[in-house]
Amino acid sequence: MTTCWTGTERLLLDSILDQLIPASPGRSIPGAGELGVADFIAGQVALDAGLREAIATLLDGAAGAGGEVSPTLVSGLEAEYPAEFLALLTVTYKGYYSRPDMRALVGVGSHPVHPDGYRVAAEAREFIDELTAPVRQRGACYRDPARPDGNGA
Amino acid sequence: MADDPVDVLIIGAGASGAALAWSLMDLRVRMVCLEQGPRLDDRDFPSRREDYELARYGSFSCDPNVRRLKQDYPINSDDSCITPVNWNGVGGSTINFLGHWPRMKPSDFRTRSLDGVGEDWPVDYHLLAPFYDMNDHNIGASGLAGNPAYPDYTPPLPPIPIGRLGQTLASGFNRLGWHWWPSDVAILSRDYDGRQKCVNAGTCDLGCAAGAKGGANFTYWPILERAGIELRTHCRVREVLVDDSTGRASGVLYHGPDGKVHEQKAELVVLACNGIGTPRLLLNSASRQFPDGLANRSGLVGRNLMFHPLTGVSGVFDEPMKGHEGPMACSILSQEFYESDSSRGFVRGYGLHSGRSTTPMTYALGGYGIDNPIPWGSRHREIMDDVYPCLAGLTIVSEDLPEEHNTVTLDPELTDSDGIPAPKITYRLGENTLRMLRHGEARAEEVLLAAGARRVLKGAEDKVWWRAGWHQMGTCRMGDDPDKSVVNAWGQCHDVKNLFIVDGSIFVTSGAVNPTSTIQALALHVGESIKTNIETLFD
Repeated sequence: MTTCWTGTERLLLDSILDQLIPASPGRSIPGAGELGVADFIAGQVALDAGLREAIATLLDGAAGAGGEVSPTLVSGLEAEYPAEFLALLTVTYKGYYSRPDMRALVGVGSHPVHPDGYRVAAEAREFIDELTAPVRQRGACYRDPARPDGNGA
Repeated sequence: MADDPVDVLIIGAGASGAALAWSLMDLRVRMVCLEQGPRLDDRDFPSRREDYELARYGSFSCDPNVRRLKQDYPINSDDSCITPVNWNGVGGSTINFLGHWPRMKPSDFRTRSLDGVGEDWPVDYHLLAPFYDMNDHNIGASGLAGNPAYPDYTPPLPPIPIGRLGQTLASGFNRLGWHWWPSDVAILSRDYDGRQKCVNAGTCDLGCAAGAKGGANFTYWPILERAGIELRTHCRVREVLVDDSTGRASGVLYHGPDGKVHEQKAELVVLACNGIGTPRLLLNSASRQFPDGLANRSGLVGRNLMFHPLTGVSGVFDEPMKGHEGPMACSILSQEFYESDSSRGFVRGYGLHSGRSTTPMTYALGGYGIDNPIPWGSRHREIMDDVYPCLAGLTIVSEDLPEEHNTVTLDPELTDSDGIPAPKITYRLGENTLRMLRHGEARAEEVLLAAGARRVLKGAEDKVWWRAGWHQMGTCRMGDDPDKSVVNAWGQCHDVKNLFIVDGSIFVTSGAVNPTSTIQALALHVGESIKTNIETLFD
C-alpha cells in the first residue's frame, strides 16, 4: 500500500515498530509492525515533510547499524537521534491506538463513543448517603468571613 | 464599511458573553455578538468517529498553537511553564471544557483580609450565590446537596455516577477522615430542558455530541437566538474604538467573513474574550487618549495572569477501574486542603480532583495536557496491559496567587491570520504554588494507598502539566480603586464608562476551583447591575 518506502525499508520499519509496541502472543495482541501501523504512518508522512525526514534518518541509522533489529539497536537509535525517535514513537502510538480493535484489547470500547457511550449505573441514593455520611458527620469545613465567627455554618 | 448601530455589542460567544446576553434580554434592546470562530453542529464533533482520539492531536486539540485553525490566534508561551488552551467558536471554551463545576468559596473573595495575600474582591460569595443558583438552573448542573465545604445550596439535578473509580477513591478519603464530595458538574444526569443526559462517553474535551455538557452552544445560545439576539460568526474584532470627545467606546473594527474590515457602532460594548483575549484586545486598542492600551490607566491590563497549575498522581489498583467510562474530569472532589493552614508551609490551598482515566492513545502519549510518551518495548506492553486499565488518579489543582510579573502582553512579531498582534504570555510558578503542589502530591499518594492502590505513579519533580492553561484569570481585575483595578464591582471599566468586561480576566484571585461557574455567575451579576443602573449607567 505504501509508496514512500522501498520494500526493504518497509520491512525494516515494520521491525522497528514491532520493537516499539511489541506483540503479546499469549493474548493474541499484535505488535505495531505486524498490525500495519506503517500504513498509518505513510499517511502522516504525506502531510508532514519533517516526519518523513525523521523516519528516513532512523531507517538509515538502522540500516547502517546492520544486523537484526533488536531492543539494543532501537535504544541506540533513540540515543543517537532523540528528536527523530520521539517523532516516530509519537506517530506509532497514534496509529496503533487509533485502531478500534487495539483500543478494545486494553479494555476500552471499540465503538465511536457517541451516540452510545458507556452504560454506567447511577449509584443508589442510599449508597451515596452511606458513603458521604462520615464527611457530613464531621460538619462544615470552610471559612465564611460573613459570619461572626468566620467559620461555615 | 459601517454596520447599523446597535445598543449592546458583545465580543465573544463563550461562557460569559452568552450569560451576559441572557441577562440583558429583558432590556429588549438590539444586541449583537461578534464571534471570531464558527458555529459547530453536534455532527462536527469527532466523538462520532472510530478514530476519535486522533482529533485531540489535530483539529480538536485544546491548544490553539496545535490546531492553527483560521479562527485561532497564536499564543507565544515560550516564557511560560504552562501554555494556554481554549476554543474559538460559538460556545467558546465551553466547547472543549470538561464540565467540572465547583463554586468558589466564601474565603476566596477575602484572601487579603484572611490570609494577607492577593486582594479582596469587591463582591462576595453571598452576593453571587443567587447568580450561581440561576446559572445552575440555566445550564442544568448536577450534584449532591449538603456538601459541608460550602454554604447550603441544591444543584437542580442529582449527581452523575461517581463510578467504580470514584467509589474506590472515596473509600480512601473516608479511611483518612478527609473531606470529599461528588463533583458538581455542568453535565446532565437526567434529560433536561430538551437536552439529552450524559451517555458517559468520556470525551468531554472533544465537544459533547450528545449536548449533555453545559456548553454555551447548547444552553444559552439557542435561547438567545430565538429571542432575536444576532450572532455573527467568523467576525474577529481588531480594535475597540473610542470617541475622543466623550471618552466612551463608540464601537469596534472587525474583520468579517467577507475579508473586509467593518465598523460596528454601539452604545455599550462588552468584552467576553477570556483572560488572554480581552487584555490582548485592550492592548491592541491603544490610542492617543489611551496610549498604554484602552482602559489601562492603572497599568494592570494584562498583569496578574493566573492559571491553576496542575500535577497528578495515579494509583494502580488490582481491578480495572473503568476510568474511561464517564465524564472525563469529574467524579469526586476533595477540599480537605483548600483553606489556609499555616502549619503546611504555604498560604491558601488546593483541591484533589479525581478525574477519570483518559483513553489509550492519550495515556500512551503521556496523558492529557502532557507531552511525554510512556516507554516503548516490553515495558510499553506491560504498562498498557496491566497498569492502564487499573489506574485511578488524583489531580492537584492549586490556587495561583496574583503576581504582577505574570503577564499577557503583545508579541512584537507574531500575528493572527488577520495580521492582528498576538498575545505573549510571561508566567512562572510562585514558590507558594510549588510548595502547595508538593504537599498535594504527598497527600494524594496517601489517599491512593488508603484506597488500596498497589503502586503509586508520580510525575517529575517540579513539573506542572504543560498544556493545561485552561483557566485564564486576573488580567483585568475588578476593584473599587481605579488605581488598583481595571473594572469596578460590576464589570464596568473605570476609564471607559460604557465598556464592560465579563470574562475570567476580572477575577481578583483564582481560588482553586474550575472558574466557569463563577465566570457565568459574575456575568449574570454584571447584567443585573447594568439593568438596575440603566438610567445612570454612564454618569
